[in-house]
Amino acid sequence: MRSKKWCLMFVADIGVIFLLSGMSQTLEIRDGKKILVYGARQPAPNIDPSQYYDWSTRMLQQSLYDALLKYVDSPPKVIPWLATNWEASPDAKVWTFHLVKNAKFHNGDPLTAEAVKFSFERTLKIKKGPAWMLLDVLTPEGIKVVDDYTIQFTLNQPYAPFETVLPWWYIMNPKVVMAHEKDGDMGQEWMKDGDAGSGPFKKKRWEHGVLYELEAVADYWRGWENPNHIDGYIFKLIREASSQRIAIQKGECDIVEGISPEDFDLVAKMPGIYVSNDPGLTTFGIKMNNQKGYTKDINIRKAICYAFDYDSLIKIYNGNAILEDSPFPIGLKGHISLKDKIYRQDLQKAKEYMEKAGYPNGGFELEYVYVQGLEEERKMGLVLIDNLGKLGIKVKMVPLTWPNMVARGSKVDTSPDMIAIFATPVFNDPDVVAYQYHKNSWGKYYGTAHYNNPEVWKLTEQARVIADFDERMKYYEQIQNMILEDAPEVFGMQYNRRWAFRDYVKGFVFCPMRFTGEIDMYPIYIQK
Amino acid sequence: MKQKSIPMYAEHANTSGFWTQWKEEHESFFRDVRLSFYLFSRSPLSLIGMVLVGAFFLIALIGPWIVPYPEDATGAVHMSQKLTAPGSQFWFGTDEMGRDVFTRVILGTRVSLKIGLIIICAAMGIGVPLGITAGYVGGWVNETIMRITDIFLAIPGLILALAIIGALGPGITNSMIALSLVWWPGYVRLVQGKTLSLKEESFIEAALSVGAGRARIIFLHILPNCTSPIIVKASMDMGMSILAAAGLGFIGVGAQPPAPEWGAMISIARNYLPNWWWYALFPGLAIFVTVLGFNLLGDGFRDILDPQSRGYYRE
Amino acid sequence: MKRYIIKRLLLIFLTLFGLITVVFLISRVAPGDPARLAAGPDATEEMVEVMRKEFGLDRPLIVQYLSYFKGLASGNLGRSIRTRHNVIDDLVQFFPATFELTVFSLLLAVVLAIPLGVLCAVYRDRFLDHAARVFSVSGMALPMFWLALMLQLFLALKFDFLPLGGRLGLLTEPPTKITHLYLVDSLLTGNWAVFKDALRHILLPAFVLCFPALASIIRVNRAEMLEVLSRDFIVSARAHGISKIRTIGQYALKNALIPTMTMIGLRYGWMLGGTILVETVFDWPGIGLYAVQSAVYSDFQPIIGVTLLIGINFMVANLIIDLIYGILDPRVRYE
Repeated sequence: MRSKKWCLMFVADIGVIFLLSGMSQTLEIRDGKKILVYGARQPAPNIDPSQYYDWSTRMLQQSLYDALLKYVDSPPKVIPWLATNWEASPDAKVWTFHLVKNAKFHNGDPLTAEAVKFSFERTLKIKKGPAWMLLDVLTPEGIKVVDDYTIQFTLNQPYAPFETVLPWWYIMNPKVVMAHEKDGDMGQEWMKDGDAGSGPFKKKRWEHGVLYELEAVADYWRGWENPNHIDGYIFKLIREASSQRIAIQKGECDIVEGISPEDFDLVAKMPGIYVSNDPGLTTFGIKMNNQKGYTKDINIRKAICYAFDYDSLIKIYNGNAILEDSPFPIGLKGHISLKDKIYRQDLQKAKEYMEKAGYPNGGFELEYVYVQGLEEERKMGLVLIDNLGKLGIKVKMVPLTWPNMVARGSKVDTSPDMIAIFATPVFNDPDVVAYQYHKNSWGKYYGTAHYNNPEVWKLTEQARVIADFDERMKYYEQIQNMILEDAPEVFGMQYNRRWAFRDYVKGFVFCPMRFTGEIDMYPIYIQK
Repeated sequence: MKQKSIPMYAEHANTSGFWTQWKEEHESFFRDVRLSFYLFSRSPLSLIGMVLVGAFFLIALIGPWIVPYPEDATGAVHMSQKLTAPGSQFWFGTDEMGRDVFTRVILGTRVSLKIGLIIICAAMGIGVPLGITAGYVGGWVNETIMRITDIFLAIPGLILALAIIGALGPGITNSMIALSLVWWPGYVRLVQGKTLSLKEESFIEAALSVGAGRARIIFLHILPNCTSPIIVKASMDMGMSILAAAGLGFIGVGAQPPAPEWGAMISIARNYLPNWWWYALFPGLAIFVTVLGFNLLGDGFRDILDPQSRGYYRE
Repeated sequence: MKRYIIKRLLLIFLTLFGLITVVFLISRVAPGDPARLAAGPDATEEMVEVMRKEFGLDRPLIVQYLSYFKGLASGNLGRSIRTRHNVIDDLVQFFPATFELTVFSLLLAVVLAIPLGVLCAVYRDRFLDHAARVFSVSGMALPMFWLALMLQLFLALKFDFLPLGGRLGLLTEPPTKITHLYLVDSLLTGNWAVFKDALRHILLPAFVLCFPALASIIRVNRAEMLEVLSRDFIVSARAHGISKIRTIGQYALKNALIPTMTMIGLRYGWMLGGTILVETVFDWPGIGLYAVQSAVYSDFQPIIGVTLLIGINFMVANLIIDLIYGILDPRVRYE
């Protein structure tokens, strides 16, 4: 009897919980506007185009800003954007671009050659983010405003891939940027969260660690192709893959990226959801230290290449991946197929090479370093333990944080025996991959193998300054063959890029030049 | 509070009646032990704890010989049977690499046992000597040691452990180092307090007055009298340290593959919820049962060995 | 009393100083190269150097250490390499979420645990008492993160009962920022819809976070109640014909609450530690999640910042509890 009072309290507690349940959220339409929700795992803390890029950052940059040119479609092609047309001198040194006349920034200022000059100079001077792409070939002095709508770049040296870099150099409004300059920082502090662009979307709500909301620019200078285009989108951070899946399933998100291969297959079967599935250009390889330890011996490296179970790579992605057949990614300009020479699992051969190396029964341990928390890399490490165990090689898995991993890989002495690397070519030119094997790339994350073949380096240097592509191709054919022969790494696979969409989301255009989760939101429209 | 009787004049005993005399002299001790057993057996929860902990040790010991697929815990992968539901072939189902979850959960006991023992031993190894020194020497030594201890107690252990691991890098060894580093201050507090109060006791003064040296007093008189609270704390901490290590494994900075650590397993398994629920369910149950066992056992120990604090929980 | 407070505050400062030193030293053991992370994957050596300068990582350790204190005096805790913001700004942004979660969770614990503790004491050794003991012992043994996942599995996924994570629904605009605590702000502005949404979101994480605390609060409360109930004044109160409920509620509980308060204060600090796990599972944008992500990136300034902030919270909470203790229990004298 007396305990009734207490019991009532609990009942009340539970009652509150019940009352609160049963609410559901509707998305898409708010105040008559079509707001799309994109569920992403990676935040974008700094959206200054001169300071930083990664997939999430660049997705927002592509929405807020325009560049002279733009990557679209698969296989990727460069289309005119702010520039209507352009010409290069025969030696690929002087490049002239003609701009559209109606482009304007979000505050209404016209976009002129002056703004282009300013933007390029800013990135080159700040020396951050995309600066590395042109730092070797372009100086601020080489940029000349011919007239309001014509700009000319004079490079220090011939550089054929120049035009393929330009889509990643966004144009900023000099007046807005410099109005926020503080202590000569060229507006860096403000631009982290600032919007000085001319792109199809502008900044609306910015809550770090939670979401970023952008709204469509109604009178975008290029216009909107579809009348049902979205009126804005929310870039919502959902850090857990399983939560991402639930979000698309419940309709809380309209597009999600980065869920597990199993979950992609699962949601693809659900009503109201479709999953895109396109071959990407990102390669996975296991780089081996070419200059130190057991893997210095080419025979050991080849033994490992032959021992690896390549099919398991495909299985990890539930069939949504293709195996590499050359050091260059399939689909990249300049790639040739070396199907007959590429390494595939062959334990007999692997053992032969082990014998050649003087370790017929193995008996040593190798380190496999991978990025902490990257599921696929962890799984591949487990496969490696299994495979190399058959050669008597023990594998020790060492997960490191990204900066620690890069720090270790930066020097020959500390670079691990094996290191898992995903690499995405940043622009569509064979040079970008060939250069990863050049001495100048030693110490970068894709240069952790410390590949050592001066002949390849020489060919790479020669090829990049030739203007005629057919002529260059001869070099790249040779380069691919030579790198493959040296087996500096286990050439792995290219996984398919996948997104899950609610079925009313239309207009998605896949382009492999974009990073893993990055979508160009401009062509997206809604059709119920 | 039990104090061991000090057989100071036992040397004069008649050798023929030695056994009887020894028994007589230690009568109170035996009474204590008998009482303890009686109290212990009367408490069903303590008994459950004892059984769980016993089973845990046993499984850790014979694990590799009773599991169906021992190679699954050391690096074998079977991609073709990944994420199979529990059934007669795989009692707890398989994980994302096709490994038997039952095997990995069972062999996980070894990992957890190792983690728990090492952390507790390290924490005691640092904490007990420091505590005795602080309590016995007193003065500025005491001040210094206790202030340093306070620094480590000024912040929840998990946060400090995370900071340490952030610096040392992830891994099972580093997480054991980190947890040991945040665990010792508890022992300093405990032992220092105990030593302080013992110092005032008449039997210590008696020992001092007959010329017992410092080392003798510490090792023969103070340390033995600290054992009961230390045992109680250690058995509670055993469970808590396993829990903490699992937490670190879950965040992703603890044990690393292919080690079958429960927390790390759950951390990966959560990506496969809710459809592949078995993968997360069983390792979690294993943690729960293990920690519960140690907690109940510690609780039981405390009721017997440290009756004053009965009913309170360690904090 | 004044002297006592000053002494305690001095001790807090001393301890914080030690804490910074310890964490700072630990952080510099790290083998990684944070500047490289900041510069991005493709950066050239020259670009990494620019970053190193910007973050002051090119200076000797002792200079970095001293300048950290110098910055601290002006409220500057350095910059996060991952978020590229000043750590102090990040903390200001993320702490309210953690604070709201912790305090709400503590309240939840009190509301659930104190009645239970009283009931256990009143019905000592009866079924409820045993059940509560089993519950509280197992509460301490449940891995918090696993409990969180299982609750998510059942309440959020299977029955679609409560949201899976986050602080608010996707399209819910946060309330006007007054205290930065969504529950309080939405009440202050009378925004009932947002309040409900925030409440729905906080329930699961708060419940999980308070679970271990429940156990200890129930136990302490029960033990204290038993103690008080056996005292003479209670017996005489009953003998004078005062009803049992009144005796318990008015006389016994009041006395038993004092030690329980201490436990609750201690629990506040422990809960802040627990947020690391709970915020990770529920994607709660607080400092626990912030600390975990920073640790995974080897981004150290934020970790030092979070450590400091939680340390201050912990110690100040303890001080306050000690002071309240003195007010409630006049026998306590401060020295």
